[in-house]
Amino acid sequence: MMDDVLVMQGVTRDYPVGGAFAKKRTLRALRGIDLTVSRGRTLGLVGESGCGKSTLAKVLLGVEEATSGTVLVDGHPIESYGRIERAKLIQPVFQDPYSSLNPRMTVASIIGAPLQVRGEGTGDSRRKRVEEVAGEVGLPRHLIGAYPSQLSGGQRQRVAIARALIGEPKILICDEPTSALDVSVQSQILNLLHRLKQELNLTMILISHNLAVVHHLADEVAVMYLGRIVEHGPSQAIFDRAHHPYSSALLKAVLPPRPGSRLPELGLEAEFPSPLNPPSGCPFHPRCSNDDGTTCHEIDPEPSGTSHTYRCHHPDNFTQTAAQDQAPAD
Amino acid sequence: MEASPILDVRNLKVDIPLTDAVLHPVRGIDLTVARGETVAIVGESGCGKSLTALAIMGLLPRNARLTSERIALKGESLTSAGRKRWRQLRGDRIAMIFQDPMTALDPCYRIGDQMREILQQHRRVSNKEARQRSLELLGKVGIPSPEDRLSQFPHQLSGGLRQRVMIAMALLCEPELIIADEPTTALDVTIQAQILRLLRDIQRETGIGLVLITHDLGVVAGMADRIVVMYGGEVVEVGACDDVLARPLHPYTEGLMHSIPVPGETRQGQTLGFIPGVVPRQVGELTRCGFLERCPYAHAKCGAGPIALRDADVSDGDDRMMRCVLPADGSGRSPEAWVRDVEGA
Repeated sequence: MMDDVLVMQGVTRDYPVGGAFAKKRTLRALRGIDLTVSRGRTLGLVGESGCGKSTLAKVLLGVEEATSGTVLVDGHPIESYGRIERAKLIQPVFQDPYSSLNPRMTVASIIGAPLQVRGEGTGDSRRKRVEEVAGEVGLPRHLIGAYPSQLSGGQRQRVAIARALIGEPKILICDEPTSALDVSVQSQILNLLHRLKQELNLTMILISHNLAVVHHLADEVAVMYLGRIVEHGPSQAIFDRAHHPYSSALLKAVLPPRPGSRLPELGLEAEFPSPLNPPSGCPFHPRCSNDDGTTCHEIDPEPSGTSHTYRCHHPDNFTQTAAQDQAPAD
Repeated sequence: MEASPILDVRNLKVDIPLTDAVLHPVRGIDLTVARGETVAIVGESGCGKSLTALAIMGLLPRNARLTSERIALKGESLTSAGRKRWRQLRGDRIAMIFQDPMTALDPCYRIGDQMREILQQHRRVSNKEARQRSLELLGKVGIPSPEDRLSQFPHQLSGGLRQRVMIAMALLCEPELIIADEPTTALDVTIQAQILRLLRDIQRETGIGLVLITHDLGVVAGMADRIVVMYGGEVVEVGACDDVLARPLHPYTEGLMHSIPVPGETRQGQTLGFIPGVVPRQVGELTRCGFLERCPYAHAKCGAGPIALRDADVSDGDDRMMRCVLPADGSGRSPEAWVRDVEGA
């Protein structure tokens, strides 16, 4: 399958915790991720803090190695690439443009750094390329020689995006790209990311806790809970008819700035469980409104569905007939 | 206007002298909060909303200069109150909930000790009574097994629980006014809804006045009775929550509304509106509209002199004010104005 740029199969990642004073234990940050992203698609990754979104991003960037399972990038295992080769394929854009840019480098040298590290081109050709990319991300020319401290938040994030794009990567991993920005600036960065993804046919992983941002950019959505993907499908399908009760709760938590809107009742009263000691059966059952008290406590649901998959014994939003079709699978 | 508002602020100004100039981050704010009312102060970073809150709490940084015609809490004027009086009021009559509960709580003390300290600062209570009161409030804010929490340190609690502890601490002395500065910005969306609900329920029950400072218009929509929109240290629009959201009058409010993607309303990839440029540094007196450079509707009249906050004579809402020369009936506005210049940076 040539067009699957990114394939993850049974990827897990464990961290040892404790040690000198506390009991040694294993924190399973990723507990078996199966995920495929096709070229030019944008996958939105959502979930609460602690669900493993950022660990997944680190594994994809090659910053962390998977404990088990395989990650294929462009058809080859991620370990088979050298550091620089990998950086040519995958580039990150981080959340906070105030800490992700070196304050002692000028905008030009920050954007050009990837080329310089790789020793690509001459000083002149690099400078030209920097100006080109800066133009592409809408950075005014006179700011090329400025330092990050002289830029606004939105401009800094444009610099971070330009730096990621200068090496023409195939995959862009955006970890909360707009959460540190004001709303009027956030919208500019969203417009920019949408344009770039279309013009450059970028494959994008968009990690965000803001469902509105995910709705705006993503073609597909994967919902993560305790180190696993509990629902994955086309963005429209998830936003229209989420099957997993956790996805439904996340969707309800979006507060629209419209008159007469009320605070939603999520039904997620219980705390997010500790990843060190995940609940038995379906890991979501202590917080779930569909919990049946038996099956959910004992049996961990396997993924059901084909293009729109979910892990749940009692999914939401099924028509009567669909629910009956579903029953034997429970 | 209510007979005696809990908070009455007139012409509040904050100046910060720098070596080369004087910053005017807050340029004369009027604010009233009635009993049981939630007033949201909305605006982007740098618009002066947090400094306004700190000024009301008497917590401004030392180099800042505060002037005001009136700051009154339940009729008591605080304009000339000294540090001692402020210390008596803070935590007792006015309480504040900060954005980041991890930095607002002291990491070296147990939750129970921090709560007891507040109580004993303001009331003559024994340790036992203080413990009783703390337990009662931790239970009220929905913290499971409150007895165990009293002996825990802040780092042992999750973000949501820490924010609940902050709310419990704010409620200890039954204040008249709570100022919540971005109370849910640091939390997950799932926790955000719970914390907002909790704040609202407590407020309804006790009749506390709540000043909610936020940049998130979604939070405002679910919580506020009245909205005060700030830009560049000035109030640019005031009105009942639903009226402002349904029909923003000031171009700044309008621009904010057009920049927010809303699932189910905006399409995927739809070009969103935005406000070009950045908030200017607030130096010197304003000689024209402060929003002029970023406003798509700007014309000659806007540069002629400072714009006054005026009553917007509109039929669909009372008490609406705007600081703009445009007609309040919405003529001459268009959503396209906000997306005109797509890569305008």
